[in-house]
Amino acid sequence: MRNSERGTGNEYPGEQQEMKTPGKMIVLFILGLGALVFLVPVVLIFLTAFKPDAEIIHFYSIFPKSWTLENFREILGNPEEIPIFRWFLNSVLISFMVTSLVLVVDSLAAYGLARLHLPGRKWVFTMIVATLMIPGQIFLVPVYLILNRLGWLDTPLAIIIPAGAGAFGVFLLHQFFLGIPRDLEDAACIDGCSRLGIYRHIIVPLSKPALSTLGIFAFLGSWNDFLGPLVFLDSVDKYTLPVGVALFQTSYFAEYGLTLSACVICTTPVLIVFLLFQRHIIKGISLTGLKE
Amino acid sequence: MKYKSTLFRYSGYVFLLPYMALFCAFLVVPLCYGLVLSFFDWEMISPFPPKFIGLGNYGEALTSPYFWKALWATIRFVIMIVPSVVLGALLIALLINNVPQKQESFFRAAYFFPTIISISVAGILWRWFYNTEFGLFNSYLQNLGIRVHWLSEMKWAMKSIVLMTLWWTIGGAMVVLLAGLKQIPDQYYEAAAIDGANAIHRFFYITLPLLRPVLLFVIVMSIIGSFQVFGQTFMITRGGPELSTRVLVQYIYETAFSNYRMGYGAAMSWLLFLVIAVFSLIQFRLIKER
Amino acid sequence: MQPPGNIKSAFKTSLRILLCAFLLVGCELGPSRKITVRFWNGFTGPDGRTMLKIVKRFNRENPDIRVLMQRMDWGTYYNKLFVAGIGNRAPEVFIIHAGNIERFMQANFIRTIDDLVAGENGMDTRDFSENIWNAVEKNGRHYGLPLDVHIIGMYYNRALFRKAGIVDEKGEPKPPETREEFLKALSKLTKDVNGDGQNDTWGFVLTWYWTNLYSLMCQWEGKFFTPDNDKCLLNSPENVEALQFCVDLIRKYKYSPPPENFDSWIGFRQGKVGIAFEGIYMLADLERQKDLDFAGAPMPVLGKVPAAWADSHILCLKTGLEDKKLDAAWRFMKYLSDNSLDWAEGGQVPVRSSLRNTERFRNMKIQWEFAKQIPYIRYVPRVPFIFEYGQEFNVGVEKALRGTLSPKQALDEAAENVNKIIERRNKMIEENLKRRP
Repeated sequence: MRNSERGTGNEYPGEQQEMKTPGKMIVLFILGLGALVFLVPVVLIFLTAFKPDAEIIHFYSIFPKSWTLENFREILGNPEEIPIFRWFLNSVLISFMVTSLVLVVDSLAAYGLARLHLPGRKWVFTMIVATLMIPGQIFLVPVYLILNRLGWLDTPLAIIIPAGAGAFGVFLLHQFFLGIPRDLEDAACIDGCSRLGIYRHIIVPLSKPALSTLGIFAFLGSWNDFLGPLVFLDSVDKYTLPVGVALFQTSYFAEYGLTLSACVICTTPVLIVFLLFQRHIIKGISLTGLKE
Repeated sequence: MKYKSTLFRYSGYVFLLPYMALFCAFLVVPLCYGLVLSFFDWEMISPFPPKFIGLGNYGEALTSPYFWKALWATIRFVIMIVPSVVLGALLIALLINNVPQKQESFFRAAYFFPTIISISVAGILWRWFYNTEFGLFNSYLQNLGIRVHWLSEMKWAMKSIVLMTLWWTIGGAMVVLLAGLKQIPDQYYEAAAIDGANAIHRFFYITLPLLRPVLLFVIVMSIIGSFQVFGQTFMITRGGPELSTRVLVQYIYETAFSNYRMGYGAAMSWLLFLVIAVFSLIQFRLIKER
Repeated sequence: MQPPGNIKSAFKTSLRILLCAFLLVGCELGPSRKITVRFWNGFTGPDGRTMLKIVKRFNRENPDIRVLMQRMDWGTYYNKLFVAGIGNRAPEVFIIHAGNIERFMQANFIRTIDDLVAGENGMDTRDFSENIWNAVEKNGRHYGLPLDVHIIGMYYNRALFRKAGIVDEKGEPKPPETREEFLKALSKLTKDVNGDGQNDTWGFVLTWYWTNLYSLMCQWEGKFFTPDNDKCLLNSPENVEALQFCVDLIRKYKYSPPPENFDSWIGFRQGKVGIAFEGIYMLADLERQKDLDFAGAPMPVLGKVPAAWADSHILCLKTGLEDKKLDAAWRFMKYLSDNSLDWAEGGQVPVRSSLRNTERFRNMKIQWEFAKQIPYIRYVPRVPFIFEYGQEFNVGVEKALRGTLSPKQALDEAAENVNKIIERRNKMIEENLKRRP
């Protein structure tokens, strides 16, 4: 039986497949309905971005009465006031660096905590997870002061480096690593090998789903991060996309058309990253495929 | 066993080093600052320097009706959202896991898409949906003669936020659970099927136990995240009507940054931390025991 | 399919290249001989773009100075301003609302400008309307340069007025000026056109409680605090009367929709509302609504005396600036003040009467109308705990309008809560003063 045909595990060599099709159809139908519900609001955002501001306010209908590109033109055509390509570049760079940093640093730490016999590792792990429970605003002022001391304010470093301290990745990967059978590591190391070797050649390939998941979240979190870049960056040309886009929203009202079209521009890269990464969250590795 | 060489054993610490360096610099140090600050009465932009008042801030919070009202709003939210998100995400992940690969990619993207949208845009969108007068939902419901005051009636306001949050966050939990499901080796299912176990048995005796660490992660993160809810209520109801949806993090934010009372804000943050820690600990115990 | 390790290293290499390119591009080559003046404000949206144009012009006309403007929405703006203040990175010039200035004054965060105003590059302070100039005064010294005054006024829908027949002899829509005219107009404007039991057009909506109710309470001559700000008088009978009037508009006369059912400003933009009170800064928003035929007028006198809420953007200087920077910053501030007519086009009113008495300002129709109220504008009470007070005010008004409490009960409760805040602060101040040697 091939992995790609695996279903609920009902198939095993020899089972008849007659009861599969109606079951599968129901599942597909339910999922399809749900997907529709989830996607409709997103489609609405995209459609509304093509409406002129005057029409948006009336909320007449879902489809634009008069399709217009004026929102996009205003955003993209004003590089002096709205340096959106610059913001885009900043966001791309920062998010990729954050993702790389998080993937490397967190996976090393999570492996250490999950597998290695370090004294006090339970306490360290608890402390790390505990930091997730503290509301983020409390970090704002002290981190600002630290970054000021380091001279990193108003540079991309102010956003990238502190992101590596987040406990989310460590927690996530730790739980995933716990799920990898220990005997795999023992078996593959009969001739003796280094920890780093085990890590590189066994853990990392086996945790592709986990690493891809974390990669997606790290990228997404960094891409949509608003408060950090807002407070730690001063110059308009260093802004990331969310902060730049917020310039269309005053405290009194929002320029809906511009905001929504900016959202369209902001969302597309993340979608692409997601589609790229999610290919790695494939079906589980078959144990028989590994060398014993 | 061959790994007993000292180098081998202590190389473990090196694994932790990069992360712990960042962790100490950007989490532990600021936390200590916040903890110390919570014992002081300090207003930003004030002619007076910080003044040590011991547990004064904590005392004020625990006797303040605003604090309890905000905490209650948060707890209401948590109780409604955590079971729905976890169970919903689990259901969707299980369903998607049983679908051929081509459709699987599509469904995974579809359910995850809302999570990609930033909170400010999601907020604008759902404010339109929920508007009593001309919102999308009501304009369809009025054909059935129903008119719901989604955001302006106290009994509906929080539920509306919960619904929006479900849409916005279930994809994230689903993706994690799906990855966890993928990690369960086929062999276990095959072996069980050969022994004659049906789908329900396989779920409870193979899937669930092997998924436990990842499931624990999703539940705990869900609790932690929902206790810290802020963006949704801030964007959609601004804490109204009549402060009924003003969650604790919004109150802390206003205290620290609009009322400039940093010490008091820090103390309330630590109180929130205690509440979250207790809830999470309960979850850890409940799930680990079995 | 490559294992993640390879992808990661590929990422990292390409990123390192990109990062280097990015840093090079962003680098400034060589030291700059210009004096840098950082200017922060909360002007996002269209007024931000207006201000940016003025700043650019200044930079062109003054090649020895470079003004760097940074803007973000007001909520986060104040947070960032004081966080920067702690790190000693506050900008040279920044904007504060007159309503918030008390706290900054008390904390010595801003520099007085009397010496600059009286100096060689100074200006005639008599040009400022007195009540506006006094808004930045404390103990005889002035702490900032008012850039503009944004006043609340009456926006009305001319198309709806014509349809309802509220016109003068020439057939032009006639905005109401007294309470009787106001109520009469509302009765004609509130209509259920298609007979479905729901009103299709409303006479009036309340927008932002903070400004709307404050104006009305002032019109009823209500009090808010005792002169030494020691006790809150929000529940004085005049305020209760004013609030009762608003509640009556909703529940007795039914000229105004219940607040839970309506998004008021959007309703006005959609053309469903006849009259709304809002600030002059909403002008740009309305101008985007191409299908709305609207105009502006001074607020009608619904109470006993004319009054209208106002606030100002104040240009402030950081304390401790050294001479060259101070000089450059002041030159910039003066330039903005001299050019405030350009600023006014974005939906503001200049504070200098010389600028208001020009043909150009006269042609800004709506600003001109709103500016008529300057003699009787009212700034909000100057207390350092303005946000907390504002919260109680808004919640109290909300409860009364939604019918949860009667106006008297709501304001009693609000006043009581504010008094608790005052008590707490007085205790804190007392203890702090004891500590001082």
